[in-house]
Parts: sequence; structure tokens; C-alpha cells
Amino acid sequence: MKRTGVYGIMAEFDSVHTLLHAANRVREAGYKRIDAYSPFPVEGLAEAIGFHHDEVPLVVLIGGLIGGLTGYLMQYWISVVSYPVNVGGKPYHSWPAFIIVTFEMTILFAGISAVLGMLALNGLPMPYHPVFNAPRFAFATKDRFFLIVFSSDPKYKPTEVRSFLESLQPRSISEVPD
Amino acid sequence: MSAAPMRNLDLMTPPVVKTIQQRSLIIGLVFGGIAALGAWHQADEFFRAYLMAFMAWLGVTLGSMAILMLRHLTKGAWGMVIRRILGAAMRCVPLMAALFIPLLFGLRRLYIWARPLDAMADNHLREHLQEITKTYLSVNGFVIRAVFYFAIWWGLSFFLTQWSAEQDHPPMRDNSTRFKALSGPGLILYGLTITFAVIDWIMSIDPSWISTIFGLSFLIGQVLSALCFAVVVERILFRYKPMSELLKPEQVHDHGKFMLAFIMVWAYFSFSQWLIIWAGNLPEEITWYMRRLHGGWGYVGLFLVLFHFAVPFVLLISRPFKRDITRLVWLAAWLLLMRYVDLFWVIEPNFSLTFNITWLDVVVPIAMGGLWLAYFFRNLSAMPLVPAYDVFAVEVLEVAHD
Repeated sequence: MKRTGVYGIMAEFDSVHTLLHAANRVREAGYKRIDAYSPFPVEGLAEAIGFHHDEVPLVVLIGGLIGGLTGYLMQYWISVVSYPVNVGGKPYHSWPAFIIVTFEMTILFAGISAVLGMLALNGLPMPYHPVFNAPRFAFATKDRFFLIVFSSDPKYKPTEVRSFLESLQPRSISEVPD
Repeated sequence: MSAAPMRNLDLMTPPVVKTIQQRSLIIGLVFGGIAALGAWHQADEFFRAYLMAFMAWLGVTLGSMAILMLRHLTKGAWGMVIRRILGAAMRCVPLMAALFIPLLFGLRRLYIWARPLDAMADNHLREHLQEITKTYLSVNGFVIRAVFYFAIWWGLSFFLTQWSAEQDHPPMRDNSTRFKALSGPGLILYGLTITFAVIDWIMSIDPSWISTIFGLSFLIGQVLSALCFAVVVERILFRYKPMSELLKPEQVHDHGKFMLAFIMVWAYFSFSQWLIIWAGNLPEEITWYMRRLHGGWGYVGLFLVLFHFAVPFVLLISRPFKRDITRLVWLAAWLLLMRYVDLFWVIEPNFSLTFNITWLDVVVPIAMGGLWLAYFFRNLSAMPLVPAYDVFAVEVLEVAHD
């Protein structure tokens, strides 16, 4: 990939507290396209960077509905159309007997859609990501916390962003090449 | 981060608890008086309503004990914040034991095995009952077993309360080993005793019918009632200190998740029982459902499927709904009502082939509820809302970050 531009400006922080504080300040300053990276889940960070909702639940709902319908219709087709067997004089279409498999298929499809939907919406697998160009980013998996303002942000002006981030007591600031 | 003794937060219940206690007692006495008139004029209907009311309030009592033991085994802030609410409900066991005594005067009205002549007249029951009434279903056996159940429940409640009370005073204590040693066997004992109790008190109304999952479906109903009751009480207390400082959305979220899990287990047990009996289609089993699906009772059953399971299930999927105590409380109150409707659907069709509800079915549970709530709020105000000298109390007493 050609390194034509700048992906964003990244600040490195020492602690959860300074990261949360910085994320809140950056969001309040009006920056919309920001992201944060930490070695472990941080409570309140999603809200601090203005992350409101995602589409995974919708994918799971659709997956569950498809699973349930598949399960029910499959049993209907087997018991009524393809190979009808008279069991204890009950009707071929005995819905109570179909419920368990319908339920299991709902759970199975919902579970699989949760995993695949999460991966797809995150754009994974992703062999290349610009944030790894930041010099000290490897510490994000160890004991450092990072906050980035993307260059695609409507308010993005390199010097302003840099000086604003500097006011938030970061450990270091770096420009991330694309 | 600081623990309670340093935070200067008064952990005693707010004065409103006394007010609710008095009003509950007044309601209990007034409705109790009306119910007593009913007992005089319509004794049959009175005892049916009494049995349902008894099972409903026993459910909140024992369910609270079960959730409390579950908390002792698993820990977590969700349980610490409602621990004393559950404890106060659990300490209503002696009241329930006292309220059991009037049932003994209605045995002949409720149970066909207590009326040998009627039982012998019934061709269908004759062959089953001769053996059973000699060995198991006799008035003496019924009373002795009931004493045994209440003794176990009271014993568990006694030790759980004693050890918890120790943690109200310095020094800091970690009683979790003792709590665990009692709660593990305690939960098993609860499962066994409630199964036998339900066989005695409910299933034996129709002695020729059996279902092995019957006890478990009552068990999960009791646990669900207790959780919903705790949510309602925590909402009332949330208006006042100290609960307004203690209760966090994360804990309410956990209570909502438990509610979702319990209604799913209830649906699972209820459906399993129906599926197995429907599939077997044997005369001695399917009659139980024939009664409950015809003569208007079917609509009650359908109502339960929709409003004890489907609608609450969909609501509880929502994360914001589960985290908001002001919204979750309405579902909790609704589910408490649904628990009573479920008991009504299980018990009442034994006595009437067509849909039948009397004014006593409404008045008696309110009367008993008034007395129960008065006793509950008395228990609640007797101890602080959090055992401040439990080493794990920090979970709820520490100030949330930022």
C-alpha cells in the first residue's frame, strides 16, 4: 500500500484514568472520528469515545429467525411431505414435537451469526492496519493506553489536534502514516 | 476507594419502611377479616384460595433463601446489594409455618385422600388409593412431613441469619467458608424438600396423576417470585438513602439477566412436562392437561405462555431495559402477578371443569400478603441493608471510579 497520507494522530497514556479523561475531553471538543486502544476492557471507554450502538444484535436477530424457520420447515418437510410416519395416531404436522429442534436451530444460527457478524462488521480478518505504523503501538497489548484522532474527522487540523492532545498529559504523541 | 466504616453512610433502612409495614398490617387485617367471613360462608372456596395464597407467599420466602444460598456460593455485587432484602424475606419462614396451620382444618375439603369414602366411590381412584392412603397420603404423614420441611427451612434460615448478623459489627469478617459449607448442601436440601412438599400439598389433590418435574417447576417459580420481589423492594428503597447510593446499573443489569434466565427455565420446565405428557398421551397423565386446556382454562394457559414467557422474554432481551430499575420494576411486579396466575392455573382446575374464579381468590392472597409484608418489613428494618463488616461488602460500598 502506498503511504500517501496521514491516518491520524495518536497519543499514548500511562493509565486508564488519563485515557478516559482524554477520551472525554476529545469527544467534548467535537471530534467524532476517534478510537482508543487498551490492553484490557475498560469500563466506560466505549461511552467516552462516543460509541453508541452496533449492528451485531440485528445480525443475531436475523440469524436466529432464519435458524428457527429452517428448523421448523425442515421438520415439516420431513414429517409431512417427504416421509410421513403415523406416530401414535398424532397428526403429521404435530407442532409440539417440532419445538425443541426449532429452538436449538434458533440458538445455533444466532450464535454463529453473532461470531461471523462481529468478525465481518469489524472488517476481520485484516492483514494490514495503519495503527501498527505508530512507533510504540506494540505496548497497547501490554501496559499502555492509546487514543487516536483520525485524519478523516471533519474537524481534523494536524497542528490543532496535536496541541490539543499535548494538553491532556500524554506520554508521547505521534503522527500515524497511512 | 473506602469501605463502609469510613464512608459514614447510614446503612439502616429509611423511615418509610415503618410506614409501609404499618399500612401492610392494616391491609392484612382488614382483608383478613373479610376473608374470615368468606371462610364461614364458603369454606370450600376459601381453602382453595388459601392454598394458592399460601403457595404464592411461601414461594417468595423460600425462593429468597435459595437465591441467598446461590449468592453465598458464587459471590458478586448483584447479591450483596439485595442480600438483606432476601434475608428479611427468608426470615418469614416462621410466619409461613404459622399460616400453614389453618390449612390442616381444610384437608378434607382440599384432598380426596383425606375423604376415604369419596375416594372409594371413585372407580378411577380406587385401585391407586388403597395402597397410597395406607402408606403415604394419610393425615398423620402429611402433618409429620410438613413439620420436617419447616424444620429444615427454619434451620437453614436461622444459621444464614446468625452468621450474617455477625458481620454487622467489627472486626471485619470473612464468613464465606461457613456460608459455602451450609449453602451447597442447603440448596440440595431445598430442592428435595420443596419437591416432596409440592407432592404433598399440590400434586396429591389429584393423587392418580404424577409428574417428576412438577417439584422443579415450582422451585423455579419460587426463585423467580423471590427475585422479582427483591427488585420491587430495591426500587422502593432506591428513592431513599442508603439504597440510592448503593444500587448501580450494573447490579440492576444482573438482576434483569437473572429474571430472563428464570423465566426461560420456567418455560423450559413447563414445556418439557407438557411435551412428555402430550407425546406419551397416557390416560392417567393427559387428563391433567385435558382439564387445563378445556372449559375456558385453555385461555389462562395461553395467557401464561404469552405474558409469563413470550412478552417478558422479548422485553428482557433489551440491554437498556435490564439496566434501568425504574422500568425493570414494572416487569418484576407483573411477573409476581403472573406467578399467582400460574398457581391458579395449576391448582384451581382440580376443583372445577370450567373456568371459575371467586372473590376469595383475590381477597385471600391480599390478606395473606398484607400480613407477610408487615412481617417482612419488620425483618428488613431490624438489620442494616448491607453487612458492613463483611470483607466482600466493599463490592457495593466502594465509590464507583470517577
